[in-house]
Amino acid sequence: MTILRVLTVDDSRTILAMLHHTLSNAGFEVLQAEDGQQGLDVLKSQDVDVVITDINMPVMDGIEFIRNVRASGQYQSLPILILTTETSQDKRDQGKAAGGTGWIVKPFDPEKLISVIHRVVH
Amino acid sequence: MSDLDDFKATYFDECSELLTELEEQFAAIEAGERDADRLNAVFRAIHSIKGGAGAFGFSALVGFAHAYETLLDYVRDGRVELSDDVVVLCIRANDIVADHVKAAQTGDALPAEYGLDEKARFDALARGESLAGEDAGGETLDEFDIEFTPVMVNLDALSEAADLASDTFEIAPMQPEAGHWEIRFTPYRALYARANDPLLLFRELAALGEMQVRAVMADLPPLSDFEPFAVYCSWEITLFSPTLTEAAIREVFEFVDGDCDISVVQLGAEGDAIPTPMPAPIVIVDAETARLRTQEQDLMALADDEVSELLDFSPAPVAEPVTRQDSFEEAPGPSFAELAAAIEPRPVPERVAPVSLNKPVTAVPAADSEENGARSVGVQSIRVDLDKVDRVVNMVGELVITQSMLTQQMDETLRARYTELVRGLEVLAQTTRGLQDSVMAIRAQPVKSVFSRMPRLVRELASKTGKKIKLETVGENTEIDKTVIEQLSDPLTHMIRNSADHGIETPEKRLARGKPETGTVRLSAEQAGGNILIVVEDDGAGINRERVLQLARDKGIVAPDVNPSDEQIDQLIFAPGFSTAEALSDISGRGVGMDVVLSNIKKIGGSVHVRSWTGKGTRMTLRLPLTLAVLDVMLVKVGESPYVVPLSSIVETIQCSRASFERVPSGERVLQVRGEYVQVIDLAQRFNMAGESQHEDRFVVLCEAEGSHKVALVVDDIIGQQQVVIKSLEENFERVEGIAGGTILGDGNVALIVDVQGLKATIVHKNAA
Repeated sequence: MTILRVLTVDDSRTILAMLHHTLSNAGFEVLQAEDGQQGLDVLKSQDVDVVITDINMPVMDGIEFIRNVRASGQYQSLPILILTTETSQDKRDQGKAAGGTGWIVKPFDPEKLISVIHRVVH
Repeated sequence: MSDLDDFKATYFDECSELLTELEEQFAAIEAGERDADRLNAVFRAIHSIKGGAGAFGFSALVGFAHAYETLLDYVRDGRVELSDDVVVLCIRANDIVADHVKAAQTGDALPAEYGLDEKARFDALARGESLAGEDAGGETLDEFDIEFTPVMVNLDALSEAADLASDTFEIAPMQPEAGHWEIRFTPYRALYARANDPLLLFRELAALGEMQVRAVMADLPPLSDFEPFAVYCSWEITLFSPTLTEAAIREVFEFVDGDCDISVVQLGAEGDAIPTPMPAPIVIVDAETARLRTQEQDLMALADDEVSELLDFSPAPVAEPVTRQDSFEEAPGPSFAELAAAIEPRPVPERVAPVSLNKPVTAVPAADSEENGARSVGVQSIRVDLDKVDRVVNMVGELVITQSMLTQQMDETLRARYTELVRGLEVLAQTTRGLQDSVMAIRAQPVKSVFSRMPRLVRELASKTGKKIKLETVGENTEIDKTVIEQLSDPLTHMIRNSADHGIETPEKRLARGKPETGTVRLSAEQAGGNILIVVEDDGAGINRERVLQLARDKGIVAPDVNPSDEQIDQLIFAPGFSTAEALSDISGRGVGMDVVLSNIKKIGGSVHVRSWTGKGTRMTLRLPLTLAVLDVMLVKVGESPYVVPLSSIVETIQCSRASFERVPSGERVLQVRGEYVQVIDLAQRFNMAGESQHEDRFVVLCEAEGSHKVALVVDDIIGQQQVVIKSLEENFERVEGIAGGTILGDGNVALIVDVQGLKATIVHKNAA
């Protein structure tokens, strides 16, 4: 079985740690970045299979990050999941408009997280 | 569960950083900097606190943070104005959040009604009511509680989740509602642009029941008219499962809602006659086959020669993920790079992917991941346990001692004989020095972390005393050793309290004296040589010297017949046992006097000096060492014993004869240095050493104490400069007046570190005795 590589982008160490735990236990390889800019930097040097990103982040927020990823041409078919606690539809719609593939609602259930990833990755 | 505990520890760490950040941001916001960046930072902080709290099920915290966050969101987009009242409310809310975090950490429950009032005000504001309408009350709370339900993360589920990582996974069937379903699915271009893939949707649908898929390709143009971004294909799907519901089907299309046309129709319940779904359906066994079939269909629609042309495109980012474009060069086949350049990677060609090259998209060669050892590129800092840093600091300290011991062992004959060794030792000395600086830099932190707590203190003090006070901070990026910073908070708090309480006058008094109504407390930090100077300055009334002297006499700190100078009186506020606080108010005092400030500062090798101008204000200066662990000193001899004087306080050294000392009428000895009379302290005498030295020539170490007053220390010999590791005398023995600590020299002897400031300060008391 191939190992899927996930890039997690979140400014909260707690969330990054929990994602890391959940994903690595599920057999994913996990990369981390603390904001959108760092996320882009990671993508420049490493191949990833799926991205999970927060929306509210300093330096470069998730919306801009997704826009940048999609604009780069190279990553048009890279699945990007938006992490959101927003109960309102707003952020989700913005994220989708920017090119987000799907979303995960925080706080996430590990099982649900993994199944959502499989929903967008081959 | 230890994992959970780890996460919690991370979370609480993060919370304390975020709370500090909040405090900093609000200090600036209060000062009028209400720009979007600050609001965003505040919003993010609360958002992160809430996010983590939700994961751990700290529902009280989640509840409060959510209401706060909602308000902040409204403030951000301008729906609610950030008035002064709102700022005050937010600052209060920060405290409540902090209390909730603390309660979550300690497990102590807060009263159920805690923060409800503020929460109600947030809700009211969010509804567009003004702050005046505070009677909003409970209903909004209920409304909110329904809105946000925290979900506990179940870490036990992880092992099961891990199983899901394999390609097969199932979604539990929904309510039993028998039926055959027909789904018509027409993706838009946007669906592909967001990296969604019909194939994955089919795979998921296939997991729901028995599935048949038919691709509708009526619109498929000849290859020459093929537009890479256009969408030509749609699908008709029938799905059967006795327990299938529409909701379950719709859920599969959740992410592509709006990016496609979709209709879901139930054909008939179980037992009903099932109409023949579609002409010549292709029976799909599994998703992978579905993929191949759809591709086949696409291909069949093309002319043969076009197909062969297409096959040549094989590596175009179809099955191969487009993110791997740079790997084309390494792939076999000479034309790949050109092709990759010629064909823009597009999601659409999915449908024309040749079967032969249909390898899994997600293949990541293991070797590849090994090579890219750096996991998180872009993360530029690491967190290290302070203990580990301290261990390094200690070892570097010992290394410094060893190095200086080695250097000392080299006498002239050895030096002449082993030139290479000498050179090596010099390099060692240099490297050790560099190592030490680097290690110290790791521990250095901006004083901001302490300064940022002060605006709040000043606010509280102002409201308690009814005075108008503003705080100015300067140089908050000055860096000091972390240990020093930790010890700084209490003394600074005390000094600022003192300024606000005793220094700054009431607005009426200030106006009467022709001063601005609002008093200013100025907090500044700067590096001066090997020291950090932290100054707390106010433009208040200054020290009431008469009263201070009276109290000092009453308490027997100053003898009745001694008339100390103004400066000495000012300094008395730090004298042990002297505190005017209790007599004057409950703010500054709290049971401890300013002598605690002095002893705290001394503990970390610093000194305090106070200067006051009647009617104009008071300035208190903290002089702190850059680092605690290692000190640059001058090694001297007093009698036969070694002493060290901190290099940072030495101005110059002078050799002079006994005759140069003069006596002033009060009996003190002074030395004239370039026209300036400097007070002389004979260390042998001061430390009551047996047998006064008979040397005619004495060495004088001219030191600068606080307030740029010089002191001449008389010693018997000057040995040289070196670095020493400070060992606390208090911890190992007891506090000795005039001695700042001890150290072990390279030869194993113990030397005492002279406390220049302390020596000068005790003169008043000595005279008094």
